[in-house]
Amino acid sequence: MPTDNDDHVDRRTVLKYAGTAGAVGLAGCSGNGGDGGDGSDGSDGEDGMDGGDGSDGEDGSDGGDDTFELGVTMGQMDSGLDPQDHAETNTEIITGQMYEGLLDRDKEGGIIAGLANEWERTDDGSVRFMLRDGVTFHNGDDLTAEDVRFSIRRIVFNDVGIVSPQTNDLGPVSEVTTGDGEVTVSFEGYNPIAFQLFATNGDIMQQSWVEENGTDYINRNANGTGPFRLTEYQSGNVVRYGPNEDYWDGAPAVDELSMSASSESSTRVNQLLAEETDIVTNVPPNEVSRVNSSDVATINSVASARIIFLQMRYDVEPFSSQQFRQAMNHAVDVESIIENVLNGFGNLTAQPTLEGHVGYNPDIDPYPYDPDEAERLVEESGHAGVEITLQTPIGRYLRDVEIAQAAANQIDSLSNVSCELQQREFSSLVQDVTAPNIEDRPHFTLLGWGNAEFDGSQTLTPLLSSEGALTILKNDELDGLLEEAESTRDPDERVDILQEANQLAHDLAPWVFMHQQFSVYGVSSDISWEPRADEFIDPDTATQQ
Amino acid sequence: MSLGRFALKRSLQGIGVVWGVVTVVFALRFVTPGSPINAVAPLDASQETRQAIAAELGLDQPLYVQYGQYIFDLLRGDMGFSYIKGQDVATLVFGRLPATVELALAASVVAIVLAIPLGVISATRRNEPVDYGATLLSLGGISTPNFWLGIMLILVFAVEFNIFNTSGRGVTVVDVALSVVGPEPVFGTLLTWLAYITLPAIALGTYFMALITRLTRSGMLDELSKGYVQAARAKGLPQTLIRYKHALRNTLIPVITVLGLQLGTLIGGAVITEAVFSWPGLGSLVIDSINTRDWPTLQGSLIVIGTSFVLVNILVDVVYAYLDPEVITD
Repeated sequence: MPTDNDDHVDRRTVLKYAGTAGAVGLAGCSGNGGDGGDGSDGSDGEDGMDGGDGSDGEDGSDGGDDTFELGVTMGQMDSGLDPQDHAETNTEIITGQMYEGLLDRDKEGGIIAGLANEWERTDDGSVRFMLRDGVTFHNGDDLTAEDVRFSIRRIVFNDVGIVSPQTNDLGPVSEVTTGDGEVTVSFEGYNPIAFQLFATNGDIMQQSWVEENGTDYINRNANGTGPFRLTEYQSGNVVRYGPNEDYWDGAPAVDELSMSASSESSTRVNQLLAEETDIVTNVPPNEVSRVNSSDVATINSVASARIIFLQMRYDVEPFSSQQFRQAMNHAVDVESIIENVLNGFGNLTAQPTLEGHVGYNPDIDPYPYDPDEAERLVEESGHAGVEITLQTPIGRYLRDVEIAQAAANQIDSLSNVSCELQQREFSSLVQDVTAPNIEDRPHFTLLGWGNAEFDGSQTLTPLLSSEGALTILKNDELDGLLEEAESTRDPDERVDILQEANQLAHDLAPWVFMHQQFSVYGVSSDISWEPRADEFIDPDTATQQ
Repeated sequence: MSLGRFALKRSLQGIGVVWGVVTVVFALRFVTPGSPINAVAPLDASQETRQAIAAELGLDQPLYVQYGQYIFDLLRGDMGFSYIKGQDVATLVFGRLPATVELALAASVVAIVLAIPLGVISATRRNEPVDYGATLLSLGGISTPNFWLGIMLILVFAVEFNIFNTSGRGVTVVDVALSVVGPEPVFGTLLTWLAYITLPAIALGTYFMALITRLTRSGMLDELSKGYVQAARAKGLPQTLIRYKHALRNTLIPVITVLGLQLGTLIGGAVITEAVFSWPGLGSLVIDSINTRDWPTLQGSLIVIGTSFVLVNILVDVVYAYLDPEVITD
């Protein structure tokens, strides 16, 4: 948190020091303006120490110094610091400050250089990365091509140390070879999205460090190449970082970063308003106005790479009828749901691929809200009078239950369909949704899908192709298009194919196309920071106001 | 039966209860829908990846093998490995326990400091406005959900007036103690500690406070109507002496029993309060583990909470038996 003098912090600080010897107390106060850091994390042990310790006096003595302390509060902490042994966003955010991959993304999702400053396809379809010179790990050792090879193999091959949940994230890698300052990754067959995959996944670790240390150690310590280095790790409580002065892209402006979590969204918002933290995630829509009307923080939101939809299984009645599925699309007033349930934090969708992602088809319009048309289509499908049940997870996506309630009500208000809602605990719903056989999966479910690769195939293939891990559809034409896209080497041609696939998906209507979810952050007015589309938080780009 | 034998008997019963807790907690994993693998593997993981993860976690073994292994490990002091956090469960759980115990004790202090005087006053001034006030307060305390109270306390005292911290844990009580001999200013450390612990301690202690107030009031009324009090009055002893030396002392015996028993409840009940205040104790760990399907950690936490409950109970029983030997013969 910035050092600017701030009434609130001072008031609290004054209170804290009320009884201490005047001089020390006063020194503590002014320094402690900066000590906003004191609160900046809200949940740590050390800041308290800081409250009480002599170093405050020191702080005070250089009161008004420009120490830039920044606190981030999320909904949940990491699951250990091994960047390759997890599959969820919070851990990715916490480890991603210290580790990085060969390629990276800008705020909009575009591919940019990371540890590799050049990358190309070789004649046989492999991809080659030329490593940046002068990159060092936090322990001072140089990054080598061998480290990169080891890291990629550790992710994709189960016999190199761990069974990584990221096994599939880099595509079907068959071999990794090294040359002088370069690494070549070969795939089983052609991989048209290799660079998209590497820009999102594949954190690089140091081989010798990983091999010398046990799982427990790797999960509590870090040795990456990223902009921040670990200074303190309190599992489940707080993680503290200092700037990596030797970072290849220059040390970040933030001098002290801390990340903590509060599972209660109201607690996060309160921390922000009490100026104990600077960035909080997932501000619920009903708290937005409270943040915006305060003079210490504002809401900063961005359309995320996550799409929300109601999926319908193609092989069971009444959803086996394309007309019925289309009717459901006409029956749900997504625009009003976005407006009333999400306070505007959502974008209407009409296809599985989001705008800005590879393969998005700009010519497809959303199904208009038209209950009469919906009723007509239901009649035509021959399923008039049917009773259906929509299943929704509880608390997994922004206002999921409320969205599902609204959608189910709208469907239920059709004269010839009745719809009930069933709320499910997410992980038990996941159990059903990921059942190996499609026959065991639920018929009608609200689900969300994050596509961190920003490529349409990464949604279409797992969710809508016959062999997809989560599919509820089997359509030969769509399968054919996706296979074609997978083997097409010309990127433009591939985009055309994916656009066609999206048009087909729109017409087949395996989903009620709902909306693109927004990531809603509360951001302290003391800093300037823009969120990213892929849900990653990058405090190294924050500046003091 | 001697007191020693009584203690031994209660301890053996306690071991039986703990074993029951372990078994129920172990069984929970299998009756709860949803596989832990889903917490580790991404949604679109292939079946092969899922199987490999299951094998790595030992979840592909038959149930009785997993159970036997679990009990065997527990006996060796090994509570398992959290595949979600990549750490030993024992380290995680015992790392969090002190924070919860500290909060529970602080809540008890809040409760006792307020409840006993309130109870005494309302008993001695029965049917006066003070009594009605205390009754109202304890009624409110019993019927206010502590998560709501917690949020309100944060809103008013942390956000609006900025007196306390909204959440988290500042220095520990150990730091406060160390500051007496160490280089840190004692008063500053103490105030920091208070800034963090006060609100959660109030939120957690309120229900408890209400309970003790009611208990003290009725106990006190009971004592004040007894013969020895009448006799003391007749002898012309000062009211204060009668109330606070004689009557209160007798009133406190059952109150202390309840206090002991409630400490276990406080440790278990801290779960919600800790979530509201992001207090890094066992309660937050339980919530986290549920959210992330971290079964080994959840099991470990529940076993520790259950065991501490049993321990406190045995201790209270034994102390009670010592004070009132009739309990043994019963």
